[in-house]
Amino acid sequence: MIHVRNLSKHFRISTHSSGMAGTLRSLISRQYRTVKAVDNISFDINAGELVGYLGPNGAGKSTTLKMLTGLLVPTTGDISVNGHLPWKTRKRYVARIGAVFGQRTTLWWDLPVIDSLSLLQHIYRIPADTYQRNLAKFTKVLELSPFLDTPVRSLSLGQRMRADIAAALLHDPDILFLDEPTIGLDVVAKERIREFILQVNAERKTTVLLTTHDLTDVERLCDRVMIIDQGKLLFDGQLSQLRARFGGKRELVVDFAERYDSASVVGADLVSLENQRATYQFSRGETTASELIQRISSQYRIRDLEVREPDIETTIRRIYEERLLATE
Amino acid sequence: MGETFTLYLRLLNLTLRGQMQYRASFILSLISTGLISLFEFGALLLVLIELETLAGWTIAELAVLYGLVEFSFGLMDNIFDGFDPRNFGQRVRLGTFDQMLLRPVPLITQIMGSRFELRRIGRIVIGFAVAAAGILVIPMQWTLWKVVLLPMMVIGMVCFFGGLFVFGSTVTFWTIESIEVMNILTYGGSYAMSHPVSIYPGWLRAFLTFIVPAIFLNYYPTLYLLDRPLPAGDWVAFLSPLVGIGVLWLAFRVFKIGIRYYQSTGS
Amino acid sequence: MSTFFAIVSRAFQRHLTYRAATIAGLLTNFFFGLVRGSIFVALIGSRGSLNGLDAQGVLTYAALGQAMIAYLSIFSWRELMDAVYTGEISTDLLRPYPLFTLWMGKDFGRAILNILTRGFVIMLVFEWVWDLYYPQSGGQWLAVGVSVLLSWLLSFAFRFLINLSAFWSPEASGFLRFFYTISWFFSGFLMPLRLFPPWVQTLAQFTPFPHMVNTVTEIYLGLLTGPALFQALLTQLAWALALSAAGALVMRAGVRRLVIQGG
Repeated sequence: MIHVRNLSKHFRISTHSSGMAGTLRSLISRQYRTVKAVDNISFDINAGELVGYLGPNGAGKSTTLKMLTGLLVPTTGDISVNGHLPWKTRKRYVARIGAVFGQRTTLWWDLPVIDSLSLLQHIYRIPADTYQRNLAKFTKVLELSPFLDTPVRSLSLGQRMRADIAAALLHDPDILFLDEPTIGLDVVAKERIREFILQVNAERKTTVLLTTHDLTDVERLCDRVMIIDQGKLLFDGQLSQLRARFGGKRELVVDFAERYDSASVVGADLVSLENQRATYQFSRGETTASELIQRISSQYRIRDLEVREPDIETTIRRIYEERLLATE
Repeated sequence: MGETFTLYLRLLNLTLRGQMQYRASFILSLISTGLISLFEFGALLLVLIELETLAGWTIAELAVLYGLVEFSFGLMDNIFDGFDPRNFGQRVRLGTFDQMLLRPVPLITQIMGSRFELRRIGRIVIGFAVAAAGILVIPMQWTLWKVVLLPMMVIGMVCFFGGLFVFGSTVTFWTIESIEVMNILTYGGSYAMSHPVSIYPGWLRAFLTFIVPAIFLNYYPTLYLLDRPLPAGDWVAFLSPLVGIGVLWLAFRVFKIGIRYYQSTGS
Repeated sequence: MSTFFAIVSRAFQRHLTYRAATIAGLLTNFFFGLVRGSIFVALIGSRGSLNGLDAQGVLTYAALGQAMIAYLSIFSWRELMDAVYTGEISTDLLRPYPLFTLWMGKDFGRAILNILTRGFVIMLVFEWVWDLYYPQSGGQWLAVGVSVLLSWLLSFAFRFLINLSAFWSPEASGFLRFFYTISWFFSGFLMPLRLFPPWVQTLAQFTPFPHMVNTVTEIYLGLLTGPALFQALLTQLAWALALSAAGALVMRAGVRRLVIQGG
């Protein structure tokens, strides 16, 4: 379905040194440096897979996505999606994919949602019965009825995302590209979107490629995860593998009911103890969170606690620092 | 082809909706665009009450010359508004052009259908009225050729200036800096050619022959309509649509190259 | 008073960073001026002059017109309207400083910069192609200076007044456009008023607009001297004050409306 071989995207950025001398110099001869936004990555995604594409900001996720959706032409390498070279056969290719961008909408800003969807029916040449069926389904599952007649500019972020996802799937695309679909949403809204994506992937076998910063998105949705940093593909495999190998230390933050002078416990490192708040670090291999909590509560009185997962930045930094490269 | 046009009409319909939401403001704007054209010609008219002719042209003849340019340029300004470099440049900067690339329909149709300022129709109406008044007052002697020439002339001007807009939009893929210069060609050029070219100094006449070929776009055709002598024979009057369509065709080709450039370098 | 000066200088500096004199903008002014000048000269044609305006006079008129576009904001100015619509006006209302004077100060700073960068520069550019007329005496120059100042004040008061329509309508752009359009004709920007039939000139005198462009240029060209000159300056002043007073009054009503309705 998606085949990527030795894909690279280089950008030429003009550099100017600061100060008067630099400005004068740049007037005479422009100096450039090459930024490798995507550096020789390769992967295959089969039909029906739900893949997470992770990486810190500026890692190359959006650039990869833009190449996959035909918005950007690669510098070198091969892309084949659904048998197409995305940027080359634009109109035919784009008819079979759906895309949602967290940062901006694909709908018409001043129009009621339903008018945008209706226009999309004509743009994608969706047969009337398919359109009605999908519209009814999405309206029900994503609870769109309250705001179908509201202009897109008046929607809350959560409502807009739901409308955008519905719009992206109206024409039964083979592939769905999601660029940070849950960004800025509250927990309830995130869950709703995730549920919907799972449903779509299960029922229609839609291939889904999703970029995100949210580790919970990944845990809920993806069996397979790819990690990119500084343009290079660092990991491509099962989520369980990722966690097992690079999971890193989790944190448990405990607020005690009284002051303790020491709060050490077996199976975890006490990182700090201040004003009745203790922070422990532990790793999955050694202890589970519940075991640790039991152990602590058997020795100390707990008022409140919080489990913190290692964030993606830390995990990735770990991966990069330990120079663990991707498998193909 | 028909499907594309239907899409264009649909997009246009959505663009127009909401424009008349504030009736009073809309009507005043509509009147204003008409008044601008009317005042510009009216100023000339009022002075000519005393002076009678401008470079040998009577008021009625000037009305035909002026009116046809206003009508055509107004038409162009509405049809090609999506390609106005200011609007298109903004679209590229904001990233909404990417959205157009993700839809399985022609880009040019989407761009043309994305904007249409209904309030600007005032200019088209007044242009028509002034030209019609001139034609009636002279009165213009109709022939079959002239009937053919009139729409050809309009098409020529619409396509030419539309083509300039499209060129300007292509430039915005690269930079937004220099597009202001385009104003001289479009607004300046059309303003200059709504008066007889003979009143201008040599360099401006050269500008209106080679850069904005007003000579072919409207001057010779108008001479023909007014039964005034043409320098090289009647056929030069009929070159207008060729010049216009040629420029527009070239502009669209360059635009397609511009899209490739945009896809190579991103935003 | 020092506050006023601070407002003016800050506006001046702010606009300085805008690169107000873009080459393209200057070229556009230059082009339009050349075309307009050619039309004016062709009109005068074989007669040589009309109603006191000869070829040099009309060319200078065309050049002046282009030079004045910037500081008078002839084509459009809707900053106040936008401030009302975005709600930014509330920050001004919270300041212990009269709103009218605040905006006047901001506009004055901008106007001074425009006179320097667009006004003088454009006149210099036109001097390069045409033989322009210049005031002959110090007294004439002084009169021009006063008239320019008054024309700015009048223009500001007019723009301020019509922008106040924002307090009464959620979409008043049409109202603005209409009045700007009227002003272009009656100010003499499109065509020297002198060239019009007397009844048009009389009609124009019922509006404040001639005193934005036409009066300034006629003083500059030496067409108004002695008592006529003083009368013109006084009329400019009267209109400027009248519009300012109207602006201040209408503004108070508008603000009250805003406060009552809750923005």
